[in-house]
Amino acid sequence: MTTAQHVLSAEDLQRFAGTVAEPPRVARYGVSEAMIRNWAEALDDRNPVYVDEAAARETGRTGIIAPPAMVSTWVMSGYRRWRDVQRARAEGVVEATPYAELLSLLDQAGYTSVVATQMEQDYERELTMGTQVSCHITIDSIAGPKKTGLGEGFFLVLGKRYVDAEQNTIATEKFTLLRFRPKEDS
Amino acid sequence: MSSNGFTPGEPLPVLDVPIDRAFIVAGAIASQDFEDVHHDPDAAINRGTPDIFISINTTNGVVGRYVTDWAGPAARLRSVSLRLGMPLHPGDVLHLTGETVAADDAGTTVKVTGSHARGIHVTATVNLTRQEAAA
Repeated sequence: MTTAQHVLSAEDLQRFAGTVAEPPRVARYGVSEAMIRNWAEALDDRNPVYVDEAAARETGRTGIIAPPAMVSTWVMSGYRRWRDVQRARAEGVVEATPYAELLSLLDQAGYTSVVATQMEQDYERELTMGTQVSCHITIDSIAGPKKTGLGEGFFLVLGKRYVDAEQNTIATEKFTLLRFRPKEDS
Repeated sequence: MSSNGFTPGEPLPVLDVPIDRAFIVAGAIASQDFEDVHHDPDAAINRGTPDIFISINTTNGVVGRYVTDWAGPAARLRSVSLRLGMPLHPGDVLHLTGETVAADDAGTTVKVTGSHARGIHVTATVNLTRQEAAA
């Protein structure tokens, strides 16, 4: 609890609104059957176009496609990177990106917890095997502090544009998350 | 029936999805989401929730699955807009209902509601079309 609980206003955070959050996230591998199958099994999704080449062709597609909701999965940074980020956060090391700086300010003020509240995705096209996905992320808006059922917090809206290796748009997304200070007695 | 095969007002079959820890963790890891609130009950409690809860990407996947289970493999999702309400915890049963609210040549719009005993977990609007045969 170092300098925690100092008061943060929306004005303190507005300089981050409209900025590029961080460098583009680049997929660690192309869109692949194995990752899709793991997802389809986890969700018990029996749609054959995700796992069966012939069934996918029968629907007029060129082959297996990825479930649209997996679009964010392809640019996740992976377990090792997640560990590194957690360690840096615990040590108070802040990466020099607007998004990392914003989250650090929120952390320092006690807004350490996060839940996603809204997501809109527009799918420009379906993802086929081998596609190399990248994602451009902007910080669109910051609102708060607001009282919520979980505790007081700030709503962040991120804009995401997923592109292929030629920078053609695959999907666009508006993602709203709440960074909140957990209630003392929940 | 509209020309793309869907009828406005048509209800989707109800789907009940029992939620347990394995389901929540499997969805999170399949989507490479290692946030502790999706796998670590102690961490979730420390962060102000009673237990681990399902990730928004897993919810998105369940909504997509619900719609394509009904619409069939030729369906192509064009957009989804979802709003989360009450979190989905182990022991909950996610009760999914839906209906088509618009259907024309441009596409079909489906409203989906996912609820459990404590309230509404998700409301979603999904737009889809039929995959055209390869030109």
